[in-house]
Amino acid sequence: MPGPVGGRVGTGVVRGYPPVFARYGVPMSPDRRLRLWALVVAEARGAVVAVEHVCAVSVTVTGADSAAVAVSLRSTPREVLWASDRVASRVAELAVTFGEGPSVEATSGGPALVGDLTVPYCQARWPAFAPAAAASGVRAVFALPLQIGGIHLGVLDLYRARAGDLDGEQLADALVLADTVCAVLLDGPSQSRPDEDRHRPAQPGLRHPEVHQATGMISVQLRVSVEVALAHLRAFAYAHDRHLRDVAGDVVARRLRFEPEPAAERDS
Amino acid sequence: MTDSQLTDVFVETADTLVGDFDVLEFLHVLTERCVELLGVSAAGLLLTDQQDSLQVVAASSERTRLLELFQLQTDQGPCVDCFRTGRPVSVTDLPAAQRWPRFTAAAAEVGYAAVHALPMRLRTEVIGALNLFDVQPGALDEGKLRIGQALADVATIGLLQHRAIRRGGILTEQLQTALNSRVLIEQAKGVLAERLQVDVSDAFALLRDGARSHNRRLSELAQAVVDGTEQLVPNVVPHPRG
Repeated sequence: MPGPVGGRVGTGVVRGYPPVFARYGVPMSPDRRLRLWALVVAEARGAVVAVEHVCAVSVTVTGADSAAVAVSLRSTPREVLWASDRVASRVAELAVTFGEGPSVEATSGGPALVGDLTVPYCQARWPAFAPAAAASGVRAVFALPLQIGGIHLGVLDLYRARAGDLDGEQLADALVLADTVCAVLLDGPSQSRPDEDRHRPAQPGLRHPEVHQATGMISVQLRVSVEVALAHLRAFAYAHDRHLRDVAGDVVARRLRFEPEPAAERDS
Repeated sequence: MTDSQLTDVFVETADTLVGDFDVLEFLHVLTERCVELLGVSAAGLLLTDQQDSLQVVAASSERTRLLELFQLQTDQGPCVDCFRTGRPVSVTDLPAAQRWPRFTAAAAEVGYAAVHALPMRLRTEVIGALNLFDVQPGALDEGKLRIGQALADVATIGLLQHRAIRRGGILTEQLQTALNSRVLIEQAKGVLAERLQVDVSDAFALLRDGARSHNRRLSELAQAVVDGTEQLVPNVVPHPRG
């Protein structure tokens, strides 16, 4: 019997399938994650799925003009990892330079969705960033945190010349793709093999509380940060071809412990 | 439930909402008040993740079996139907219910006989549901339904209120922030469970007691625990909870 969220039986690797589910007042949507992952794989054209492929899809599905990903690792400055074009690169750098703007706020808080940077509120809130971004031809900025609980990886920015908010479908797609960027950043290129659907990276969203509980436990067991702990947990699940939540369940039930590798083994 | 209990909850809620508060702590207290005021066995709040699913953000008890029961309804069950239709859904006799076989079996196994779901509404949108479980079969009477709905509405207000109102997109920002705080809490529970060698179900109580005794926000303390900057060593050995 499939699990609560319909993980496909037989492939051996959980991929966090969301249920087919209707929004209030909106017709049933097809499986959003499957559809978006197919687009990402098509974008990669046989190559290993990387951040830029996910971002390219996020531009297409949200009607944005460009996108950028900035990473913010603890104790290192915020850094623009990737930008889809010159405008995105310039605006992303503006946020880093001025230390203000939607993407700065989204790095530590929730999403910052700004349909029009030229309104007085935005000009007052970001006096350096807002006029400079508008001068670069960007009216709307949608900044989505790359965040998993206490793990702050950075931010996915979507930029658009035209003012206006994202609609519900565009937003839902953008949130899924931000999750996918997190997965790609956590797993590294080797895990995101696009050749088979079963290698679709597990979404790091809430769905399974035990995954996050296990992450916390592993961080203590290995004496590492929670982001490194989550990367270990995911790598273990991939390596053993098991569902992420099953491995997490074993950790929470104390049937499985992660032990720090002895130095000798690490060197070999 | 007495009038004075209702008054106390009203005063407590109003007092919280005018101040600076932690949204998860607020929602957690609200689920506890639901249990007290409505005389049910357990209460939980589920929010839309805006990606076609519902997620648990707060529950009156962190018992793993109960959380699983809430989580089971992210794709089927009374909460989903309530969320989809925007109307209350009640199952007054779970073992006899034909719908949602997986959910009803799991709920009956834990010993629940009735389940109710009340919508969290904001104008024309439904953003989640308040979920109530009872070991006694039967419907909620009219008075309790009204109070339950008012508590669900208060939860919605709390979600929107907890930070200064910003631009458009506010609802998404608040929902996503609340959901992410819940993930943070789960990570902190894991850190504490391993560090102090307690069950994850008990780790939440430690976290919450720690926040109260140090007068800190629940999510701030959880972040500090996750970052390892706060050890949160209890001065008493945690007692197992029944």
